[in-house]
Amino acid sequence: MFRQLLTPVRAVLQNLGAESVGPKLASHCRSSGACDFSATSSAAYHTSPALFLGRRQRKEGNTSFVQKEYVADGEKASILEVRQSKGDDRFPDLHLPTREFNGIMFKDLPIVNIKATLNNTLLCVTDSFGAAYTTRSCGYDGFKNARKGTNVAAQATAFTLGKKLMQRGFRTVRVKVSGLGAGRLAAVRGLTFAGVNVVSLTDYTPISWNPPRPRKQRRL
Amino acid sequence: MRHPLFIARTVLVKNGAVEEAMGVLNNIMARDGFFEQYRRTRFYEKPTEMRRRVNYTKCKSIYNEEMSRRLAFLMRVNRPDPYPGCS
Repeated sequence: MFRQLLTPVRAVLQNLGAESVGPKLASHCRSSGACDFSATSSAAYHTSPALFLGRRQRKEGNTSFVQKEYVADGEKASILEVRQSKGDDRFPDLHLPTREFNGIMFKDLPIVNIKATLNNTLLCVTDSFGAAYTTRSCGYDGFKNARKGTNVAAQATAFTLGKKLMQRGFRTVRVKVSGLGAGRLAAVRGLTFAGVNVVSLTDYTPISWNPPRPRKQRRL
Repeated sequence: MRHPLFIARTVLVKNGAVEEAMGVLNNIMARDGFFEQYRRTRFYEKPTEMRRRVNYTKCKSIYNEEMSRRLAFLMRVNRPDPYPGCS
């Protein structure tokens, strides 16, 4: 199943690999001095900033200069810019479900579900099948009213939960985060402070592009 | 379409750098408009409000495009003839 789903990802990665050949070719071309055709073309149009080689650029060996030619407008806004190379290990790949972390396969790791709402942060630990093991929330840990929704409360709650997890042997977990509350990052941070090894972060916020009609606007 | 869990919207944590991983995840989701959509669908948006928002976005993007074009024109460097007609 994963293999089928990941084919587009693999295609994108291969394309990335192919694109990275471009600058190499260009630098090779420039070092051998065989790029004169671009000189005439830019002089004709008076638009290209590429051809004036200043003293500084000549000294630097044109390295930054050559790369500049291949950056198009808006290219940096692409997500693919985030990816470093063909084997970027910050994102899941084909072998992730069966890769071992601390001796356990990724698909068998316990899950910490974090629900960070505006008014509270709830943490629920389940095994890989979704059977709940334990639940904690900021309200349970003694924070009341508006304080429940703060990042301090979320971090403290996650810390106590993490300590408990460490005692029970849940040392390596994957984290599912949902909601945009203040506890979104703080809860994960609290887990790590307690010594829990967080392997991956997954966003699980329910977002729909054709939702049912929401409730009416608040009137302030 | 449902995307597979722990494949979609997932970032692996490297060397315990949780904040960095969360930063990458948030950055990607913000660029893809997930957060904006989430915030916008908390409450119902009346048709008049939607029209106002769409028109405002249109005007803003036109203004930004024009302004960035002008700035690029003013700030351009390495012109073949920096002072045309003055030689």
